[in-house]
Amino acid sequence: MNTVSRLWRSGWTVRLALLILLAVATLAVAGPAIAPQDPLAQDAASALQEPSWAHLLGTDYLGRDVLSRLFAGAPASLLSALAAAAIGLVLGALPGALSAFVPRVGEWLALRVVDALLALPFILFAIVFAALLGNGLPQATLAIGILVAPGFFRIARAATLRVRDSPYIDAATYLGASAWWVLSRHVWRQVAPNLVVAAVSALGGALLAVASLTFLGIGVQPPAPTWGGMLSSDLGYLGQRPWGPLAPALAIVVTVGALNVVADAARDVLGADAPARQKEAVRV
Amino acid sequence: MTIVTAEAPPAPAIGAEPRVRSAVPVLRTVLATLATAVAVFLLATFATFALGAASGSNPAAVALGEVATQADIDRLNHQFGLDRPFLVRYLDWIAGAVTGQLGTSWFTGIPVADSIAQAFPVSLSIAAGATIIALVGGFAGGVLAAVTRGGVVDRLITLLSTVAATVPAFVAAIGLILLFAYAIPLFPVAGYTPPDKSVGAWLLCLVLPSAALSLDAGADIARQLRTSLVGTLGENFIVGARVHGLGPARIVFRHALPIASGPALSTLGVHAPRLVGGAVITEVIFGMPGLGQLANRSALQGDVPVVQGVLLVTIAVIVAVGAVLNLVISRAGGTERSAA
Amino acid sequence: MSPRSRLSLLAASAAAAALALAGCAGSSPAPTGAASSTSLTWGWALPTSWDPVTSTAGWDTHALALVYDGLTQLDPDGEVVPGLAESWDYSDDGTAVTFHLREDAHFSDGTPVTADAVKQNLERGRDQENSTLAGQLRIVVGVDVDDEHTVTVHLDQADYQVPYLFAGKTGFIVNPAAFDDVASLATQPEGSGPFALTEYVPNARADLEKNEDYWNADHIFIDDFSIVPVTDPATVVAGVDSGQWDVAIVPPSQVSQAESAGLEVETIKALTVRALDVNGTVAPFDDQRVLQAISHATDRQALVDAAYFGQGTPNWQPFPEGYVAHSPELDDLYPHDIDAAKKLLADAGHPDGIELTLSLTEDDTALAEVLQAQWAKAGIDVTLNVLPSAAVAQNYVQRTLPFVLDSYSGRQSPLQGLEVLYGEEGLMNLGRQTPPELTAAIDEARATPTDAADYAEKIQNAVEVGVRLQPNTFLFSWPRILVHPAHVTGIRHWLDVQRWEDVKVEG
Repeated sequence: MNTVSRLWRSGWTVRLALLILLAVATLAVAGPAIAPQDPLAQDAASALQEPSWAHLLGTDYLGRDVLSRLFAGAPASLLSALAAAAIGLVLGALPGALSAFVPRVGEWLALRVVDALLALPFILFAIVFAALLGNGLPQATLAIGILVAPGFFRIARAATLRVRDSPYIDAATYLGASAWWVLSRHVWRQVAPNLVVAAVSALGGALLAVASLTFLGIGVQPPAPTWGGMLSSDLGYLGQRPWGPLAPALAIVVTVGALNVVADAARDVLGADAPARQKEAVRV
Repeated sequence: MTIVTAEAPPAPAIGAEPRVRSAVPVLRTVLATLATAVAVFLLATFATFALGAASGSNPAAVALGEVATQADIDRLNHQFGLDRPFLVRYLDWIAGAVTGQLGTSWFTGIPVADSIAQAFPVSLSIAAGATIIALVGGFAGGVLAAVTRGGVVDRLITLLSTVAATVPAFVAAIGLILLFAYAIPLFPVAGYTPPDKSVGAWLLCLVLPSAALSLDAGADIARQLRTSLVGTLGENFIVGARVHGLGPARIVFRHALPIASGPALSTLGVHAPRLVGGAVITEVIFGMPGLGQLANRSALQGDVPVVQGVLLVTIAVIVAVGAVLNLVISRAGGTERSAA
Repeated sequence: MSPRSRLSLLAASAAAAALALAGCAGSSPAPTGAASSTSLTWGWALPTSWDPVTSTAGWDTHALALVYDGLTQLDPDGEVVPGLAESWDYSDDGTAVTFHLREDAHFSDGTPVTADAVKQNLERGRDQENSTLAGQLRIVVGVDVDDEHTVTVHLDQADYQVPYLFAGKTGFIVNPAAFDDVASLATQPEGSGPFALTEYVPNARADLEKNEDYWNADHIFIDDFSIVPVTDPATVVAGVDSGQWDVAIVPPSQVSQAESAGLEVETIKALTVRALDVNGTVAPFDDQRVLQAISHATDRQALVDAAYFGQGTPNWQPFPEGYVAHSPELDDLYPHDIDAAKKLLADAGHPDGIELTLSLTEDDTALAEVLQAQWAKAGIDVTLNVLPSAAVAQNYVQRTLPFVLDSYSGRQSPLQGLEVLYGEEGLMNLGRQTPPELTAAIDEARATPTDAADYAEKIQNAVEVGVRLQPNTFLFSWPRILVHPAHVTGIRHWLDVQRWEDVKVEG
């Protein structure tokens, strides 16, 4: 794709980030399959060991291979983050674009709903949502998606507003173009690059949120590993394995960092004029 | 060339005519901001209340624990007013909240307002500490980076802020614990001592959580300040000042910084209120009995009144600070942001 | 001076000042061994309520025992000894017991503990609307005040367990002067115990000071006592080492940490046992053979080694070895035998194995994962359902989850403990069904004086009937593990409630 090649050429940091994302995407799809050992195989006698040739990243509290668990845990965290970002995109972008065309009162109300969503303390609300409505990852994903939607709303709305007030839209409407045609041809072209950038950084924020929630134990279905869950259980054995938390922490941080780098570069490349990242909404 | 981000208010041009001070537009702005804030508050608290109501948790099972029959469940539900229609309960709750009555915990029977009053100073201390560290660190970093623009120091600071912005608070918290629990036992790694017991112990116990929480805000402030300071330093009036022979320190601190601080401070304004209720995981990791830990524990216990109360207070703080910020920014001539 | 260096100088001096301030003021939050006053900080959970009548958790008893005194106490082996009551005697038919209160017992405000106070307390525990003790005090039909220091409790049937019962929350005597505002007792206890609460910050800390009017004050060597909960097990050893706590409870995973840090580890045999709560009215748990298969498929010793770092003893019954109610006949009742498990499952109509869902709280994940792997070898496929602790606690009432990994703690009276496990109103009896043989055995033991020759036999018989007929499955008994530095001495191994008489903090 044209965009990707342009991104590739924009600097070595972006290249590194793209490679990292490629590796992560592979894990998300085929993680459990390429894990070197069975992530569930317990071996109490060799619990909490340091890295060795048999276990490249050591073993956890039940003697399971950490590297394999990292691979196997990738899909849960990554796909949830992807789902949450997608939910946010769908819930936020279309209403955001449409809000530029509705009468004043409706518009004001829609803006206030968005403000209300942004006024909710992110992680707190996600925790409460998940804990009170059944302790599962789907609920958590839904909560994150809803809370991420306002960012998409604003971006779509801002881009649409810019387009709405431009003269060639007036000309097109005068010439008989329907609202749908305007939306799908002109608005989309304006909005799309901004949405892409927002989606990439929202993905990073969603991954952080999923990691935080699984860290607190929400949405964890043992014995299946998750990155946040591994981090949390490693905390309990810091004395025996001080470098334990490093593996899942790095996995999370490196992935999110790569996403942010790509988002920034994409903003430059696509000429999107979206403001700085979705980070405002995601506070852990 | 000026680099202005979408959030930055335009720098006031030198020699522009003073705006006419009339009461009516100011009043209109204040009323509009107030109306917005109230609407947002009501919507957000409605969502919170609906969440609690949808949870299906009931006080009898939570409170009685040992011997609760169906009769007990019905009795306690009636006692807590849970058999009334939803809207009635919501309005009752909001009306009570305004006067400081937030109900009682289903689990301990302690009034929610009391629990919040005890947890709030803890969260406030951590948030204030994080804000101060972010401000000091962010400003120092931003100024240094802008002043040495393009050099090694600039690149280093930019790299550090990127890392700081990416590392989530709880990962930083774990790192700090590893460092200070096992390597250098300098600060306590858990627990909170109130200032009226010992100011020194209070400050000590705040260091690590505030540091962990400040990374994100500090990085954003540093980057924001660097960008706007670089832009401001390229303005004509700065060149003029330099030509006049003013020393570089004076130029930076007395002429450029006051103008360039605007967007950085508004960034802080966005981050700061969220720190009050949002530091859940940091509080859990460091064992700080603040609002985040209170809400987390209550949510896991199904103690709905406490959860709703904490969320309400946090929302109120965020909305109030946002409204104040809006007013300040609009008075300073910036673009109006929404209430959050 | 260039702006940059001025700024860095400012920053450096600010940092130095901060460190100096921090260094000078408040060092260790728990100074020890000062000649004038001794203080001790205990890393333990704060109670759900400081009012024994509204406390919702069994472990609260440890904290409540600091501010309240029971009519009786239990010694380190779980045998009843005098508390507020110096002695007691039963009527001939066992339906009434007279307690003789000691004359030198006073509440923390100086007023004496009288028989009338006892009467008011027992009646409040039985009759107050939100009392969590109501069920246990239903046996009390009347309380008579014979004179200022003599009180007689009338029971609805012969029950010799009452003195044991009153060593716990049911017998904690609250100062009646606080009864006009009972709600405040949740945060401001008024008792006659070894300490009095001076400051309480919920979920943060509780500060107490020695009650000089305590009848046993001569044996209390701590002036300032604080309870600070342990929030993060990973850092508790570091906390004890640095002086944040003087004594703290640690999970088994931290024992080796504590030892290598040079701390003393007290492994205290307690009445706590890991168990599976089972609702025997729900299929497939209504077939005893399925439960026996589960028990056979469990390798209890491996479980202890893997999940509890060896700190535990395999057990097939609620009470630990050495306790009067422990029956040797039940040892190794269902030994680890995969083939036997498979055969039992086949006999019960599940030749190809069985699928179950086990509910648990997050803290027990490691234990559940080991069980899952063990049971899989016998064809028992378990899905783990991790829930918030509230959901598990609510399950005692709502009973929607038929199969839960739990921990059980014996009560002060072994029969009271059996009631909780197997009685028709018993919390942990998810099926709320009791076979008549069990009720009969419990009643017979209840009506036997505790010093009778056949008491142990009767109690153990009741336990055997319960374990054989009821679906609750026990895994292993586990100890209370406290760590402390060497200069804290005198910590005894109390089977029931941890007490602090004769504990000293030396220079």
